[in-house]
Amino acid sequence: MHWFESQLAQLDTLADDYLSAQRQPAADIVNVSEVTRLKRAAFIDAVQALVDKVVKIKGVSACAAYHDGLILAQSAEASNMDAFGAIIQETIRAAQHGETSLDLGEIEQIVIVGAVNKLAMLSVGPIILCISSPKGVNLASVLSQAK
Amino acid sequence: MSSNVQFLDPRKSQNNEIDSILRNLMNIQGVSAAAIVDSDGFVTHIHRDFEINTDAIGASVQVVFGAAAKAAQHVGHHLTNMVICENNDGYILSTPIDAGFILALVTQREALLGRVRFELKETIPVLKKLFTSYLAN
Repeated sequence: MHWFESQLAQLDTLADDYLSAQRQPAADIVNVSEVTRLKRAAFIDAVQALVDKVVKIKGVSACAAYHDGLILAQSAEASNMDAFGAIIQETIRAAQHGETSLDLGEIEQIVIVGAVNKLAMLSVGPIILCISSPKGVNLASVLSQAK
Repeated sequence: MSSNVQFLDPRKSQNNEIDSILRNLMNIQGVSAAAIVDSDGFVTHIHRDFEINTDAIGASVQVVFGAAAKAAQHVGHHLTNMVICENNDGYILSTPIDAGFILALVTQREALLGRVRFELKETIPVLKKLFTSYLAN
């Protein structure tokens, strides 16, 4: 498993932990609330940390995380992030139509390649991680070699 | 983690957890106030990092939320889950909890709307349960 895959796996684990905490029986609501809050914070902090790391990788021009098309975490240097959010929302919606009609299963990744830049969208728990780079960059390669 | 502490008074522990939730919301980048407003517009819990007229904000939040909820009903949208006021220098987000109580967040312009909204949406189900239990005790 390369660096980026292991980072995504960690995020998936944290997202699962959070979802499990949410499903706890609410008999002791105070403790459930506290545990859920801490698990959510751990997940969001990890998302922000990954965004901060990914944007420093040579070849990556921007990285951000979205929830329902709105920015949840972004790199300080990022620009046009609201526009990315709108594109993500539209793209995910279109792809989700294919989930059932084409029997794709749950959408995990979408890549849009333009003549100048490209955009990768990765589904992690409740959020979408978005990475953009110039068209010529092999994103899979640079993400796998990062540390 | 304070979860091992057993409070003799359940209301006190629930009240402490409500305070912890508001403190947690205040830790989000750009959030400058987090308040719970009752159905009469009175602020019952608040955390803030600037001077704020609590009576005014409480009443305003109830009026704005009430107006938005009416508008939603007029266009057949049924229940209102969140009202977002986008202002020149920031946002005010308000979400219903239970029994007319509303959770309101005041943010600066630099707040990440998705982050704040996500946190609100995830917090509300727990707050609802806390309030149900709190009001029953």
